[in-house]
Amino acid sequence: LSSLPLQILLYANGIYYIFYFLATLAMIIYKSQVFSYPDDLLAPDLAVLFLMAILEVPRLYLGFKGNLTEAEAPLGLSLGLTVGSVVLSVYLLLWQTYVLWADVLLNALLLSAYGLESGLKVTAIAAFVS
Amino acid sequence: PADVRDAAQARVRSAPAPVTDVARLCVCDLLVAQCDVNCCCDPDCSAEDFSLFTTCSVPVVRGDSQLCSQKAAVYSLDVEANPPERIFKLIDQVNPSIFCIHATNYKQALYLKSPEIPTPENFDQLLDKFGGATFSAEPDSWNLDTDAQNPPDANETSRYEYGVPVQTEDAFLRLPSPVVSSWCSDANPAGFLVNQATKCIRSVSVEKCDSIQALSMLFYINSSILAVPKSSQMVNITVQSVVVQSLNGMRTLLSSSDVLRLPMVLDELCINAVLGVNYHITHTDTGEIIEAAAAFVLGAISKEALSIEQSFEISFTQENTQPVPLSGNPGYVVGLPVRAGFQPPGYPFPAAFLNKHSQLTILHSTSTQDCLAAQGARAPVLFGYNMISGCKLRITAAMKCQPLAQTLLDVLKGQSFPEYVASFGNSQAQDVLDWVPITQLHISEQMISHTLQSSCQIPVSLGIEVKWTKYGSLVNPQARIVNVTATITTTTLKQLPSGRERIIPITSSVVFTDISSPAEPSYKAWPTIDIKLPFDFFYPFV
Repeated sequence: LSSLPLQILLYANGIYYIFYFLATLAMIIYKSQVFSYPDDLLAPDLAVLFLMAILEVPRLYLGFKGNLTEAEAPLGLSLGLTVGSVVLSVYLLLWQTYVLWADVLLNALLLSAYGLESGLKVTAIAAFVS
Repeated sequence: PADVRDAAQARVRSAPAPVTDVARLCVCDLLVAQCDVNCCCDPDCSAEDFSLFTTCSVPVVRGDSQLCSQKAAVYSLDVEANPPERIFKLIDQVNPSIFCIHATNYKQALYLKSPEIPTPENFDQLLDKFGGATFSAEPDSWNLDTDAQNPPDANETSRYEYGVPVQTEDAFLRLPSPVVSSWCSDANPAGFLVNQATKCIRSVSVEKCDSIQALSMLFYINSSILAVPKSSQMVNITVQSVVVQSLNGMRTLLSSSDVLRLPMVLDELCINAVLGVNYHITHTDTGEIIEAAAAFVLGAISKEALSIEQSFEISFTQENTQPVPLSGNPGYVVGLPVRAGFQPPGYPFPAAFLNKHSQLTILHSTSTQDCLAAQGARAPVLFGYNMISGCKLRITAAMKCQPLAQTLLDVLKGQSFPEYVASFGNSQAQDVLDWVPITQLHISEQMISHTLQSSCQIPVSLGIEVKWTKYGSLVNPQARIVNVTATITTTTLKQLPSGRERIIPITSSVVFTDISSPAEPSYKAWPTIDIKLPFDFFYPFV
């Protein structure tokens, strides 16, 4: 049986991620105007943000598909992609050039969502396998 | 000793580390080992000094206020206590904004950059970067050689343009001129098509007069001028004429100007010293110099003279043309003479206007103020300058009216009063429409009914009114003469009883009136797209 909490969480994650992406991009633009942000430090930060956006789309799609079709392979793949997203989110939380308080809040929320999702995915995989 | 030198070198190699502890930073601590007034953070102040302060000039010392939480040192004076004492608190200041900087991985963001200390290794690179008049990001593009003329596109300047220095084989054609003070500076280049006349003072001494280069003719004609910049075609400077000026100022033109006269000492005088040079350069209309001539004024310097005044002039003429002085290009320039001329008879349209010997002139007041005595003193009418002049006419009983009227008309109008005035400052003689006819009006001072037709009228005043308008663009209006009216006012000459005489004032005036209509700014029309398909566009179907 498909996991309903996982489905709700994936759906909410999708919406939250759009807001997160726009907010982080706006804050990077704000930081580049207000603070001294040399180009060789701005490029990695933007690259990480866009990479995370690119990873998020297949991650959520595979999560939806795996959960709804009760197949463990897409869910497993989605879990793998989640690990990548977690790493990128940790980078934005700790190793960005300027970490604002808003950055901390957004990333903390995203990480907690990822953590919860990962837990639910593991239980869903376990349920589907057996 | 070696250890002191080593320590000094070690000190020099790195700048002192910046102080970042807010408790130890004090911005108002300016005097060393002395207490600064009202500076609460000064470590040199004792408790008694604090009790004399009125306020703290620096209340808070903290780092960048955009950090989320930072240490701040707060200084305040407790005026309630007796004696007043200073309160020092180290607090954690919190920035409540959601966009405060929580952490930063870029160390230089919050601190000023430490400058690079010059060492023997990086000195050259630092000098390249910061040593010029402006800092350059690419040190290679700085070229510090003294070649002043270094045009970026050498192929393009194959002719002279306005203002470009006239080049000679070694440097530039020099026109010595006063630079800061009145002393001659030989480094002033003559610009192409820039007519200049300068006067400057040169210090001389009679004993060394043959060794001072600037006093000899050779200095001014020895280098030949390049016909076009950066070419090998040379134009020699020929000596057009030599005028010798004696000590009392009398000038004589020498008949043979091909002999080069060099300065030499003769009887305590230095003769053949150059007092003035006048260059005449002939050029083509494509910016090439074809001829150069110099006219010299040589003079003698006496033993007591410590300095002489030299005058230099350069003028440019285009080949095969007669230079006509323009009064503006195209609109009249205030202060330049109004150009006028006559229309030579021709049918149906005149060929050109001769304006060689006719200029719009006005009577020039003289000190004697007698109209009949000083005939011929005239002043040119300058654009924009309203002028009034006059003289007094003494009429005796014996004077006949008709010749007197004719004489007065000559006095007022001059010998050749022009018929046409140029509308623009640069109107060419062959453009008929650019010339405005002078309207002549006669006004009789007394009413017609009171005078008999046969009684004689003598002119007493000439008033020239020039109406001009602003023409052209709003930001750069040009003055254009639209209408010229010359009004002669006449009055009746009453017969005087014999022996009596009368004095009548005769006046002439020029007035310039601006009749320009208010400007209307207009805007460029939107560009229209004009597309027309070729007629066989729909070939197979049409």
